[in-house]
Amino acid sequence: MTIKVNGAAQEIETGLSVADLLVRNKVEQPEMVSVHLNGEFVQRNRYGITALKENDEIDFLYFMGGGA
Amino acid sequence: MGFTTRAIHAPFLRKDPHGSLHMPIYESVSFEFETAEEIEEAFLGKRPRHMYTRISNPTVEHLEQKIKHISGALAVVAVSSGMAAIADTFLTVARQGDNVITTRYVFGNTYSLLEKTLGPWGLEVRYADLSRPDTIEPLINDRTRAIFFETITNPQLEVADIRALSAVARKHRLLLIADTTVTPLYFFSSRDYGVDIEVLSSTKLVSGGATTVGGIIIDNGTYDWGHNPKLQQEARRYGPFTLVTKLKREVFRNTGGCLSPHSAYLQSVGLETLALRADKSCENTTAIAEYLARNPKVKCVNYPGLEASPYHGVAKDIFGQRCGALLTFELSSKKECFSFLNKLKLIRRATNINDNKTLALHPSSTIFGEYPQELKRQMGVPDTLIRLSIGIEDVEDVIADIAQALEH
Repeated sequence: MTIKVNGAAQEIETGLSVADLLVRNKVEQPEMVSVHLNGEFVQRNRYGITALKENDEIDFLYFMGGGA
Repeated sequence: MGFTTRAIHAPFLRKDPHGSLHMPIYESVSFEFETAEEIEEAFLGKRPRHMYTRISNPTVEHLEQKIKHISGALAVVAVSSGMAAIADTFLTVARQGDNVITTRYVFGNTYSLLEKTLGPWGLEVRYADLSRPDTIEPLINDRTRAIFFETITNPQLEVADIRALSAVARKHRLLLIADTTVTPLYFFSSRDYGVDIEVLSSTKLVSGGATTVGGIIIDNGTYDWGHNPKLQQEARRYGPFTLVTKLKREVFRNTGGCLSPHSAYLQSVGLETLALRADKSCENTTAIAEYLARNPKVKCVNYPGLEASPYHGVAKDIFGQRCGALLTFELSSKKECFSFLNKLKLIRRATNINDNKTLALHPSSTIFGEYPQELKRQMGVPDTLIRLSIGIEDVEDVIADIAQALEH
């Protein structure tokens, strides 16, 4: 199925959870990342039980933004 | 693991390429990227990369991580001073027309920030007697955003009954913000007492004994940001990380109060000996307070560690034997106070607290000098008051200096 990860389309197998995707995508510093699924914050303790569906949009965000 | 073990062995987020045991000082303004795509992703917050030191820096980040590791907090932001920590926090959680509840016994510069700087921009400050939590509830309305207090006020040395304040804050879904400068980290776990946000001047105990100026904002992750109308949109998107995201991607970034990497390095090293210095300075303070209480030239001594203090019970309950390293005492007049200060030979006449050196100050003519006499009375800062910030010297030398300055 197709989902969007940080704005880019990605094909993944069905039945994956947010926790699975963090591992599959080798997300850096997972302890520092904030996960948003379809614009809503996902609590860390729900990563393992939050299943991904077709057309989901998931963002992995960090708190460092900005610059001059 | 104990406090000091956690402070000394806090892990790095990334392994140092040279195996350095201390996080090196990354004294660089900017950090480069391999590709345009990478820098775009970093700017959008989609990659954990440092870009520009005003916003984040590896050495500053290590200090933040170390405090997070020690405290078990959700998130930590290091800033340029304790005042920057307070200012950034209020600018994040409140907007024009909102109000916060505090006491007139707040630190003089904090009072000035609230009344003179943020007041004209539309933040209303409501003053309660925080030693009587029943005085808080009548002040709360639908624009109240937070209760702000200092764990031990400076220089009145009033000790907050934190559990009672927390109960009021919880009942009304208000944010509870504690300034823990006088009792940081090692002294108690603010989260266990219901504090949502801790702000502190790391200039004092954290820095290793007044080596550098800095401030810390600690988010315990206990507040539901959906209760704050200003932050409801962010709360849906960032959940418990609302405050830190709003700070890092807006308020802290835009106001520019960043901590220098050099200061972060010294404060990170300072954390490792905080407990040792805190124990010694508190032990010294108790001994000096007991000496002053016996001296007939001293009208009264204020130190929560003394059984005679009205705050002894609550201080002991929260802080145990460590009631801070700040004490005050009164002489008969301002003239007597100045004479005492001028006769000191070892103790330094200087404004700061938790230096390794013992420091003496006349608060009424210095930190509170900008306020009229009547307001100073309301703020609990009489002309007859001397403040001592006790260091880690051999205590008999400090007592000898006080004795000779009181004798003549």
